[in-house]
Amino acid sequence: MTALIPLRRKTVVWFAAIVVAVNGFFPALWILFTSLKTETELMRYPITYVPDAPTLANYQQAFTEQPLLRFLWNSFVVASLSTLLCVLVSALAAYALTRLRIPKRNLIMSVLLAVAMFPLISLMVPLFKLMRELGLLNTYLALILPYAVLSMPVCTLVMASFFQDIPPDLEAAAMIDGCSRVGALFRVVVPLAAPGVFTAAILAFVNAWDEFLLALTMMSRVSMRTLSVGITLYQGEFAFPWPLISAALIVAIVPISILIALFQERVVGGLTAGGVKG
Amino acid sequence: MRRPARGRLFDHATTANPALNDAPVSTGKDLSERALGFLLLMPAALLLGLIVFYPIANLVYDSFFSILLTQPGLGEPFVGLDNYARAMEDERFWHATGHTALYAIITVPGALVVGLGLALLANLPFKRKWPVRLGLLLPWALPLVFAGLIFRWFFEYKQGFVNDVMTRLGFEPLAWLTDPKLATLAISIAIIWKTSSFMALMLLAGLQTIPKSLYEAAEVDGATKWQQFREITLPMLRPAIFVALIFRTITAIQTFDIPYAMTGGGPGDSTETLAMYIHKTTLDFLDFGYGSALATLMFVISMVATSGYLRYTRRGSGRPGED
Repeated sequence: MTALIPLRRKTVVWFAAIVVAVNGFFPALWILFTSLKTETELMRYPITYVPDAPTLANYQQAFTEQPLLRFLWNSFVVASLSTLLCVLVSALAAYALTRLRIPKRNLIMSVLLAVAMFPLISLMVPLFKLMRELGLLNTYLALILPYAVLSMPVCTLVMASFFQDIPPDLEAAAMIDGCSRVGALFRVVVPLAAPGVFTAAILAFVNAWDEFLLALTMMSRVSMRTLSVGITLYQGEFAFPWPLISAALIVAIVPISILIALFQERVVGGLTAGGVKG
Repeated sequence: MRRPARGRLFDHATTANPALNDAPVSTGKDLSERALGFLLLMPAALLLGLIVFYPIANLVYDSFFSILLTQPGLGEPFVGLDNYARAMEDERFWHATGHTALYAIITVPGALVVGLGLALLANLPFKRKWPVRLGLLLPWALPLVFAGLIFRWFFEYKQGFVNDVMTRLGFEPLAWLTDPKLATLAISIAIIWKTSSFMALMLLAGLQTIPKSLYEAAEVDGATKWQQFREITLPMLRPAIFVALIFRTITAIQTFDIPYAMTGGGPGDSTETLAMYIHKTTLDFLDFGYGSALATLMFVISMVATSGYLRYTRRGSGRPGED
């Protein structure tokens, strides 16, 4: 009897791991299988699960039928530059909010939390008008600016939660040793805060990579489309070439999945610290 | 894992470090510190003003005008509250609002139940943590519109995975995406899948703050697992559940991508959400005045929900289990 309990426990743990993993991975796996099938295999009935004769033809077609490489590049440029801008601005704000005497601190924090919850659809129309007036439609800036600002609340809160764990004495000691406050910021606070900055950067990058509504609105030229919108261009008016769409989806999912897989612990920590975006 | 610090950020200002908070500024050094503070906050404030506050003000202003880009000859006359009055009589607006509410009613509790289940499973002692962690992170990292596309493929009538499983089990295949009720159900399932993992991550963080000793004591007293769940886990998790629910509700009000990718609002307008209707009104019908009024309404609804959240986090900071 006593020997049975650990065995049962082990089964439960295994069962739990399989349920969570299948729930998370199955849709991506299904898309991967679909992307390796030929159109004829897809039409077979009953449907096959694992492809009979895997082919990479869909991937080849995905790159030639739409400028998929260009979409990748656009997403990469927009996501990295908006992340850079966001982290820079947020780091300054987070430092001020956690280490300096700021009047109405709580109010500022509340405004940040509220901005994180703003409905994008309400911002879409006036932002479209603004970008049109500034002549920025179909330029990277039309997405970089909004993405940087929309991720700013989360990034500021995440970094603030990291910054305030750095003992103020360290900074004070550096200042006594002759550093200016800015000098102390860069020599003491920044190195210690690097994990927080990095975590915030990943969150900002994923947010920008995933955004759809503004990307759809601001970029009407195909060559300026980002991935999230570009993928929807493979469908015809009535036809859905699923193997082709699946191949494009896999290409789009792989970079972000690798990023998430490499830094999973940080992402989880950041999500629960900032806890601001669903 | 790091302790989430949302509660503490507010705490910090009121209790942990009172010196930062009070104090009329008197000395020169303080003044320069304050000036530095403003300087550091300035870039963020400027960007927020340009990208968020100015556009919102512009939106509310536009909602009092008639702006038809299809008929520029009409000019942009001031119409007062006409756009809002029109919304009250617009059947499609009420349909869209009703669908949005329906999605919220289905997917908020749905995501909570699934998310709580996933969190409880993920909280078990695994030897290797990464498959489980990645299993929770992947749905979160996937763009909403991709999730919509993938589930559209799942629910495809002929070659879809769902109907294949149903026929194998001896059921008739269903027209998931062309029947209004089934389409609503299919979209809800996709939304629940996509959002439950983030909820699970938040609840998991809450679960990990519950002291193990509580369970050990209950075990000694002979409590069953179910009793432990009801008497320890749920009460301790209540603040985390509340926060997760409000997050989900606010995002549910804004639902756009998944129905957009799965049905485009169809058949008819039977799965169209408020956000989709606003998008169509402005960018397809080019009726910017009316669209702005609708978007203003959406903004107000979201902010009401958000203020509930803010009140809770500020009041509740420092409660056990919340951080």
